[in-house]
This record gives sequence, C-alpha cells and structure tokens, in this order.
Amino acid sequence: MLKSLTFGALTAAVLGTAAIAETEQLRVGMSGGYFPFTFVKQDQLQGFEVDVMDAVGKVAGLDIAYETMTFSGLVGALESGRIDTIANQITITPEREAKFAFSQPYVIDGAQVVVRKGNEEVGSVEDLRGRSVAVNLGSNFEQLLHELPYAEDIDIRTYESNIAQDTALGRVDAFVMDRVSSVQLIKESPLPLELAGAPFSEIRNALPFADTEEGRALRDRIDAALDTLRADGTLTEISMKWFGSDITVAQ
Amino acid sequence: MRALDFDYMLGLVPVILSYVPITLAMAGASMVLALALASLLAVERVIKVPVLDRLVVLFISFFRGTPLLVQLFLFYFGLPQLLPALANINGVTAAIMGLTLHFAAYMAESIRAAIAGVDRSQWEAAQSIGMTQAQMMRRIILPQAARIAAPTLVNYFIDMIKGTSLAFTLGVTEMMGAAQKEAAGSFLYFEAFLVVAVIYWIMVEALSQVQGRLETRLNKAFAR
Repeated sequence: MLKSLTFGALTAAVLGTAAIAETEQLRVGMSGGYFPFTFVKQDQLQGFEVDVMDAVGKVAGLDIAYETMTFSGLVGALESGRIDTIANQITITPEREAKFAFSQPYVIDGAQVVVRKGNEEVGSVEDLRGRSVAVNLGSNFEQLLHELPYAEDIDIRTYESNIAQDTALGRVDAFVMDRVSSVQLIKESPLPLELAGAPFSEIRNALPFADTEEGRALRDRIDAALDTLRADGTLTEISMKWFGSDITVAQ
Repeated sequence: MRALDFDYMLGLVPVILSYVPITLAMAGASMVLALALASLLAVERVIKVPVLDRLVVLFISFFRGTPLLVQLFLFYFGLPQLLPALANINGVTAAIMGLTLHFAAYMAESIRAAIAGVDRSQWEAAQSIGMTQAQMMRRIILPQAARIAAPTLVNYFIDMIKGTSLAFTLGVTEMMGAAQKEAAGSFLYFEAFLVVAVIYWIMVEALSQVQGRLETRLNKAFAR
C-alpha cells in the first residue's frame, strides 16, 4: 500500500513537468523565502513577485509556472535552461548584464544596513568597518559590500537563508538587504531589528532572461506586458498592497 | 524567551505531512536502485573482474569521497554545461540519481563485508556439490549475506530519507523545503523546523519497527 502510494507520487512528479508543456508557459524561478516578495503561508506561494508575475502572465497570454528552489540554485537553473526567468528581486549589475537579457526594472530600491535593536555602534554603512555583516549567498548585496573602499575591513558572511535571525541573535553585527523588504521584515517579524541609517546605493531590479534569440524574444514580450501594467496602474497597485508605497518608480 | 506558537505548529503539520509522499518516493526509488547497483558492485568486488574492478574501485572512491550536496550540484547544474541533453532531467530525477550513486557506493562496501562474513565452509560446500559461481552467489552466499547486511542497509535508508532534504537546492520542494519557505513567511523558525524535525523522527522510528521485524524474519533459519 505504502509502495503504491509513494510510486504514484513519484510518477505524478515526473509526469507533471512533461504534461504541461502543451500550453505556452513561462517557467518562473523564485526562492519562496524572501518576504514579502516571495514566501509561503500554509503551503500557498505568495508575495509581490507572485502578484507581478501573475499580472504579467495575464497580459502576455502566458501560463505562469512557478519553480521554487534555494536562491543560490536559481541562476544555475536559468543558465541550464530549466527556468525562463527569475522573479526574486534580481538587481541589474554589469556582470549579470553581460550574461543575461534583462527586462526593464520593475523595482527601484536601495541597499540597507539592518542591525539588532539597540545596537548603537552601527548607525550607517561607514560603521561596518571592522564588523561582521551577513548577506544572502549569490545576492547583489555581497558585491555592493565588496565595492566599498574599506571592504577589506568588513567580515562579510554569506548565508543560504536566515540572515535576519542570525543578526537578531547577535551572531553577526548586521545584515544588508534591500530597503523595502528590510522595512517590511522589521514591521512584520517578531525579531528585534532596526534600520541603521539611510540606504547606501540605488539598485534596479528586473527579470533576467537567457541571452539567446528565444530568450530575448520572450524578454520583449514580458517588457511590453510590464509597460501595459505600468501604464494602467497595476504595478503601483501591487506595490501599495505589499509595501504601502510605490517601489516600482524612482523616488 | 517567547512562548512557542502552538497554533502555528498545529497548522503546519498537515502542510509538512503533504510533502511526506515526495520525500518517501525519492528515498524509496533511490533505495531500490541503490540496492541493485550496490549488489552488483559488491559481487564484482568479491570476484574481481579484471579492468572492471579498477573502475568499480574508482567509482566507490569518488562517491564516498565527495559530499552528496556536491554530487547533486555536479549532476544538476554542472553536467548540462557539457551535455546539453541533461538539462531535461528534472530535480526529482536528479535527486534520485544522486542519492542512488552516492549510497550505492557505501552500500557496496557493507554488502561486500557481509559476503566476506559468510563462513568459508559455505563456499566450499557449494563448490563441492558442483554449483557454478553464479548459482553459489545467488542461492547460498547472498541470502546469508543479506542477513548480515540488513541492519547497516536500513541505516543507509534512514540516511537517504534525511538526504532528500537536500533536494530543495535542485528545486524539489520536499519536507525541508516546505518548512524553509513557511519559516521565511512567518519568521517562526523554531516552530517550523521543530515540526519538520518531529515528522522526520516519527518516520524513522516507524522504519525502525519495520527493521526489527525484517531482522526477525531473516534470522529465522538461525534461531536457536
């Protein structure tokens, strides 16, 4: 009984990916672990990115299929053609632009230092000298920290997940993430955290596609859909729902 | 110190339970395949076919010598760069492949030891009545070796069940992946990981019961 049950589930898992190839679909990768952009509650994938991609799919006439995996696996999955794009606040950087075809930015934000509540010693990005700082593995914030003139004096620690938790526990002095999710995280989570100073760098987040003819064609189609959503106010509406402010335009 | 959010944990139980089938399916399929492969490898290690033996030694050395996570990344993200056709395998298949090869290497050694543990007189007796090497293996040696190897093989299966928690890095949402995503949304890390830990624990405990019964059955012929 157990055997037939498990093998049934296995067959379903293997067939599941093959059977839906019929309709035109966009395979979107996300971590599912980046509140409030992409997260899960009671097994329900949701967040800002999910709402944006659902709206894009509707306008572009594409069936959106979500694939969740750890953040560091996402770029590998895009490169090996297992997904078509990543909706996980991917910041446009020169290195990534050389490799991928980016859509227009749909979130404009800044890098933010966050510390444990009551930490008087770190008040801005300059105070990170001589401190330990957590960033998500493979994220753009690691790069931003390396670009600081005093990067050598910062103990940069890369994490697969749970950077907020380790900062709250005092295992690291601070973490760096985008401003909007930092604000949201401090508001919604029970963790004792606070912002340290103003955002220190503008970041533009977009959807990366494979830099191939097919990928670029898909990118153009998504770009057009984003234009429509920007013009009819849908992007602003989704942003207001999750953040109470419009993060889809430059401040 | 804050109090545990029991309501949240209770609500999470059915969510995590719904991922038990995919975890068991991956572990179960890997176990069947790994057992078959490991038996072949072990028999080869005992009879030592020229040339092939060197390859088997190399295989076992590599898959015992590198971490499972490294092997999974190598198959899933690395190999498709060399062989584009491999981009079509999905995460479940890649995880099963990885678990199978990794654990077959370990199991081969424990089966080999079990074969070596069968008393020499059994080989001689089988030879004396004119059995071929294949007959001897299949009818005399392997059944007795199975009894010796059973406890360690069940141990590997338990390890395999827990090893499936790495499949989330390949995009397969199994029990651990589901718990990680829930924790990201609720920030209740302790609750989420405690629920998933207890469910793994119960699963392995149930398996230990099966192991007890399996051992009694395999030992029947030897009971005094």
